[in-house]
Amino acid sequence: MSPARIASTLAFFFVLFVVQESAVSLIHFPISGFSFYLAIAISMIAFEDHNGALVTGFLSGIVLDLSPTSNAPFGQWALILTLIGFLFAVNKDSISDLTSSPITFVIFVGGGVTFALVAYLGFGSLLDEQNGSLGHDMIVVLGNLLWTLIFTPVFLPAISRVREFTMTSRERL
Amino acid sequence: MARGGGNRSRLLLVILLVTALFFITLDLRGVSLTKGSRSVTQTILSPVQKTVSTIFSPVGRFFSDVKNFGKTNAELQDEIALNKQLKSQLARGEDIKGELSQLKSVLDLAGRGNYKVAAARVIARGSASSFSQTITIDQGSSSGIRPDMTVISEDGLIGLVKSTTSSSSIVLLMSDPSFKVGVKIARSQSIGVLSGLGSNTYELDLLDPAGSIQTGDILLTNGSEENKPFIPGVPVGVVTGVDTAPDSLTQSASVSSYANLNDLGVVAVVLSAPTTAPSKPLVPTPNPTVTVYVTAAPVPAPTTSALPSGSPAPAPIASPTTKK
Repeated sequence: MSPARIASTLAFFFVLFVVQESAVSLIHFPISGFSFYLAIAISMIAFEDHNGALVTGFLSGIVLDLSPTSNAPFGQWALILTLIGFLFAVNKDSISDLTSSPITFVIFVGGGVTFALVAYLGFGSLLDEQNGSLGHDMIVVLGNLLWTLIFTPVFLPAISRVREFTMTSRERL
Repeated sequence: MARGGGNRSRLLLVILLVTALFFITLDLRGVSLTKGSRSVTQTILSPVQKTVSTIFSPVGRFFSDVKNFGKTNAELQDEIALNKQLKSQLARGEDIKGELSQLKSVLDLAGRGNYKVAAARVIARGSASSFSQTITIDQGSSSGIRPDMTVISEDGLIGLVKSTTSSSSIVLLMSDPSFKVGVKIARSQSIGVLSGLGSNTYELDLLDPAGSIQTGDILLTNGSEENKPFIPGVPVGVVTGVDTAPDSLTQSASVSSYANLNDLGVVAVVLSAPTTAPSKPLVPTPNPTVTVYVTAAPVPAPTTSALPSGSPAPAPIASPTTKK
């Protein structure tokens, strides 16, 4: 991933983060909130190649760690989303091309969001963070999965175009 | 990647993971760099959140009301545009009316408690990317707000100030799992600790195993040293159920809060307050409901001389009574 692409990806994630924190978080979704940011970040990770998935995961995690409302230590989301990037990179070989099968893609993004939230809770419990009762956390995780499965197909084409926009001419080839 | 990524990918993975762990270690050791970055983010976010909050709330309601948008008649389009504008103004007016109502109630509560408060609008809610329950308000250190100040709504306690910038503050809601507040039961004066559970219910643990607690008991804040973080006497909630397990060392109960944390528009941060509990009761009282009972009065038998044939009997007299 070129330095120019790293900068544009970082800027994109920061804009996305502002949208999530200022607009999406105002919407009262039934069951539980929807993490627009996580769904798009994991979609972007899924589009990338091996190294791209790792770097995209790390960058998206660093931006998410900037959240002033977060109780978690700075770097926790970077660690988790880098691991998600690794898992997507490993599975990319076995599932051939995710973009040719949108349903598989959406299921993988939903699975990625769920895994990220569960990993956040697991890592948080290791660090003695208080994230609520198990029942409440399960509702939050399942609610996020539901909304991710519903909304990901809507923004998938736009994400694909944004990704192309951030790529250099050489990377497009 | 295990098969095709090669050494370079593995090295990249290790570098990124080590970097993330390095940041976590720095944060846990209290290095101000990471806290500073979050403070800068809040400074950048708060003007955007204010703008989006102002625009989004009336427009969001407006769009759900707009119908017949696809008609082609030009005159009709003008009427629809005018209607849209008027509806938008109406929605904004309703929004302001609602905010004013909440502001009046919260200032009433502050006045009864002799609190000096800074009123603030809620401009954002906690991120869905984390499990913490917070709100962001549009007043910060320039209004005298500092971390660890009590935040109240029209009905009572809602949380405490977690962090501030010059123009905004983040409030940790009392429903957050990390939130704990010392409370006392108004009836028995027993004291305990109320904890958030991440939902609309709360857990109360009495400090005295022999303390008295029962369903319907009213809880008030017990107050902290120098009123930080909590001032005394603020209504917190009401006991909805008592855990009566005989083998338990402490008594616990489930509690429902007075304040509805899902419906916060205007809140107040208590800047200063008396160190003793307020003399006037602050617990919200339900609005009296006027119920009219209609009882049938004895009807005198109609006489053929007094009433014409086929006339209805006189209506019974309603006797109004008021019930709270």
